[in-house]
Amino acid sequence: MKAISKNLNILDYAASLLVRKKYKNMAVLLVFSAVIFLLASLQLTATALRTVADDILTTVPDITVQQMSAGRQVPLEADYQQAFSGIFGIRELRERIWGYYFDEKNGANYTVVGLAPGSVSGGLKDALAWGRLPEKSGEVVLAAPVVDNMQLGQRRHFSLFRPDLSLQSFQMVGSFRQDTGILTNDMMLMTQSDAGELFAMADGQLTDLLVDVANPAEIDTIAGKIADVLPGTRVVTKMQIQKTYDVVFSWRSGFGSICLLTSVFAFIILAWDKASGFSPDEQKEMAILKVVGWQTRDIMLLRFWESAVVGLFAFLGGYTLAWIHVAFFDAFLLKPVMLGWSVLRPTPALFPPFQLTDFVLIGAFSIIPYMAATIVPAWKSGMVRPDSVI
Amino acid sequence: MRKSAFIGLLLASLFCLDIFIGIYLGERHERFKSEQEILRLVVKELGSTDLVVATEARYTRHPSVSDGLVPFMDHPADIEHFPSGSFYHPVPSR
Repeated sequence: MKAISKNLNILDYAASLLVRKKYKNMAVLLVFSAVIFLLASLQLTATALRTVADDILTTVPDITVQQMSAGRQVPLEADYQQAFSGIFGIRELRERIWGYYFDEKNGANYTVVGLAPGSVSGGLKDALAWGRLPEKSGEVVLAAPVVDNMQLGQRRHFSLFRPDLSLQSFQMVGSFRQDTGILTNDMMLMTQSDAGELFAMADGQLTDLLVDVANPAEIDTIAGKIADVLPGTRVVTKMQIQKTYDVVFSWRSGFGSICLLTSVFAFIILAWDKASGFSPDEQKEMAILKVVGWQTRDIMLLRFWESAVVGLFAFLGGYTLAWIHVAFFDAFLLKPVMLGWSVLRPTPALFPPFQLTDFVLIGAFSIIPYMAATIVPAWKSGMVRPDSVI
Repeated sequence: MRKSAFIGLLLASLFCLDIFIGIYLGERHERFKSEQEILRLVVKELGSTDLVVATEARYTRHPSVSDGLVPFMDHPADIEHFPSGSFYHPVPSR
């Protein structure tokens, strides 16, 4: 009880010291909060996107096979059946043609997906706001942002350029639901043959193969066998796809590193400020405290509470602001980097669920270095000899 | 009121605000979970491998089926220049 009372008294005194230099301490608090805000915004945005990816990318194909040549993806020849005949355990094999269509009029990139009408189940109709799935040549389902971007208005007919600049006509027969936007916002879904024609791919050429395996435990084995029978292919397994979002949003990305380095430099500056910032007045004050009976550890405790108050306020303030920024304002400050020059600017719903790991991680990145940086100055101020100062 | 009590009150208020936001977002996440069946169906039927976040470059639109070399492939001595490329860490080559 006595120890608590003593700490509360010292905290009261620390608060008085902070208030006495309120402008300087406010500036430190603001910079410190801004750094934590930046770190936490990045971490929470990454958590939100990772959570969505973990939740919905659970039904990706077990294996995706793409042909590579000279380090680039190239069309896959459709004479793979014979090669696959010796691989057992494959439940379903689907062909797909997909790629990007660059709209020269406005600089947007659309993702064109071509699937054979028979390879899509009727259930996919539930993903449409209206209309039906493409059944025959010339029919296409578009996402609402694509319709807006192409300025189609109420029109249902439009044309796209093939690589030889001839026109290919399409009729929009449906539109994706808005709540599927995180997967479809830039999508044009058409028949496989239409997509092949749009990309001027030769008959029998595919973009990739989607393989479903009967026994999930055999995915890696079958992926290895596919890589053996189809040399030069990129074989991506479900596990690799699901782990992608853990890799791509990391502190080692360019922006992540900048945020981390910014915070490190901010802490160095704060530590330097603490280490060199004892004015003669402050030294005199410490000396008087020692004369009236304060011990070195009491002065260190005083410094500890000063740092703890600034650190905790900066951490909780910065973290709370970051949470509001990400959850209620869709991380608008990070968006210019996250979306870059994207013409189609999807607004993925970001709602990072509370994760203790995020909270502790940001706390560990902010409070602990700040407290650690103030230990030596606190000790130095506690070691001041009254007779040398007064 | 003691200054220490005032400080404690302010910190507790901020912490409570965090808890309220956490609860609210948890509920929103639960609601999102109920909408996920349709998204999982889209992933399954279309074979989607990625989320639509950045649409400017193929390696940020579809990072799952990309690799670290793709940003430099447009021509010899090409440098990676899309802003979103700085947000995404390249996936290891497969």
